[in-house]
Amino acid sequence: MRALSLKQPWGLALQNLLQDKLRFALSVVGVALAVMLILFLLGLRAGILRSAIIYFDNAPGSVAVMPAGVKNTSAGISQFLPRETADRVAAEPGVGRVTPILLMMAIPEFHGRKEVIKLIGYDVALGGGPWDVSQGREPQADDEVVLDRVLAARHDFKVGDTFNVAGRQLKVVGLSSGTTSFTGSYVFAQKGLVDSLVLTPGAASMLLVTPMSGTSSAELVATLRSIPDTNVLLKTDLMANEQQLVAGVFDQIVILMVVAAFVVGALVVGMVIYTATNERRGEYGIIKALGARSSVLYRIVGLQAVVSAGLGAGVGVGFAYAMGWLVMTARPQFLVVIGPSAIAITLAAGFVMALLGALFPARAVAGLAPADVFRR
Amino acid sequence: MNGKGLHVSHVTKRFGAGETEVVAVRDVSLDVQRGDVVLIMGPSGSGKSTLLLMLGALLKATEGTIALDGLELSALSENKLPDIRLRNFGFIFQDFNLLSALNVQDNVAFAAELTGMGHHAAREKAAKLLTELGLGHRLTFSAEKLSGGEKQRVAIGRALINEPSLILADEPTANLDSKAGHETMLLLRRIAKEQGRSVVIVSHDQRIKDIADRVLWLEDGQFKDMVTMTPDPVCGMAVEREDAVTLTHDGVTYYFCSSGCSWQFAESPERFTNRSVPA
Repeated sequence: MRALSLKQPWGLALQNLLQDKLRFALSVVGVALAVMLILFLLGLRAGILRSAIIYFDNAPGSVAVMPAGVKNTSAGISQFLPRETADRVAAEPGVGRVTPILLMMAIPEFHGRKEVIKLIGYDVALGGGPWDVSQGREPQADDEVVLDRVLAARHDFKVGDTFNVAGRQLKVVGLSSGTTSFTGSYVFAQKGLVDSLVLTPGAASMLLVTPMSGTSSAELVATLRSIPDTNVLLKTDLMANEQQLVAGVFDQIVILMVVAAFVVGALVVGMVIYTATNERRGEYGIIKALGARSSVLYRIVGLQAVVSAGLGAGVGVGFAYAMGWLVMTARPQFLVVIGPSAIAITLAAGFVMALLGALFPARAVAGLAPADVFRR
Repeated sequence: MNGKGLHVSHVTKRFGAGETEVVAVRDVSLDVQRGDVVLIMGPSGSGKSTLLLMLGALLKATEGTIALDGLELSALSENKLPDIRLRNFGFIFQDFNLLSALNVQDNVAFAAELTGMGHHAAREKAAKLLTELGLGHRLTFSAEKLSGGEKQRVAIGRALINEPSLILADEPTANLDSKAGHETMLLLRRIAKEQGRSVVIVSHDQRIKDIADRVLWLEDGQFKDMVTMTPDPVCGMAVEREDAVTLTHDGVTYYFCSSGCSWQFAESPERFTNRSVPA
């Protein structure tokens, strides 16, 4: 193989790395695994946050009217808005459409396994139901439901099958796509069915309000805040609240694991570069004796660390995509979203790993006395 | 004293202080003109390496001055020394000390690039120099795959590439067979004479004495007169006749560094008399 010929000291740094190819490969893989873990965890977190708002992202309206004191739905809603509130909202100026939603969390047992479902009761005429019915149709009767297709696939439910929730036999008339959530799959039913299950006829967990043309969402929020016993907020704020709640549950553990992966990555780079540097102490001493300044040695050590970490980070991004694909294929309820910002964060983390990894080796070469070359 | 060459004046090097003080080099003076090949010999611990380190601006003298081409090294600040070493000195080591990751050409070019020379220019210069040193066919070889003699020629190439005025060689023949060692010394002599560079060699190797213009004997940190010195026929060490253990064989007096060597000689003189040239 023809040797690389790069400007010095870059050429020496690269050749130092390539001289022990196995060690170089192990360092790249070590960093790649750490980066993969970081990026996968960030992607999983992004997926969890994304799935936490997936319903609201597709539901109609830009303003949410909730019962007083309620600012999210993730834990289920035990308070309800009476029918009169919906009528009152509809009568306010600037209101285009009011979509009442009745939400119920349930944990039915399917084939001996408990599943968390979010039962969405909606009015077919007003919207708020499934946005992508990939098979079958929307419910037309009070014993019909549209089931999330991932949940259906997990339990081999098909259109026409039935299952029980709270003593009611429900018939699957459609399967919806994009309705899987880490915190539970969505099941859509006519509002009347959920009314009867939660024993609150005519009530709603929330009202999703669409402003009339010419009225802004903010103006509408201001108008609707005059209605007593409600909490009126922008739908985007509601979505942020949903994500905040989920993040509060998962962030600590995710951050802990990300930090652990980062430390492992930095240690891998550090150990590899330290070992490689230590093995070449004599050569670094020679370079110093020849007349190189310490900055030249820092560049050699630093470049080795940057190349190891940079290549590892690049491979790690690929690994993370592969891991995300594998997880989403094997467990479709997990959404892994690897976005450009996560990649940027991870690559920056890789760079910091390189700097940290180079710190001790650089200190080691800085302390070398060139005169030692002559002392045997 | 003219400005050209190496001028060492009353140099002393002390390590430690008080009861632990060790004087490694004691009031040494030396002039090496351009084109001179000076060989410094002496027993282990005599101060040879310490002197070489000071000559190479790798160690500061405690007292005295060292000047190269009129530039007083001992007066320079530490941060100026790397550049002086890079441009004014060529170093040759016992173990060759080539950079194992680089090929022959890049090992030599590396030193030139450290001075700021462009990558391609440095490689071209290295190739030309190595070809002159008989290594034109080895440019892309890994330095580790060369013979000892070839490695030392690469090291000489590296020492020469920045066209230094002084070449310092530390036991350059120690890891070479006699033929390669002799060739290396002839090469250093040719470089000194043809290119007008000063060459200072520190060595134990008696075989290379005839190639030097001057041979200096350093013992206990001081130069001693070589006229009164003669090699021990057993171990090869130069010994002072006045203080040496002596033995006469076939009417010739032999001088030994210790009784051990004289006993060894006495057991079978023919083993040693064939290879030694007594005074």
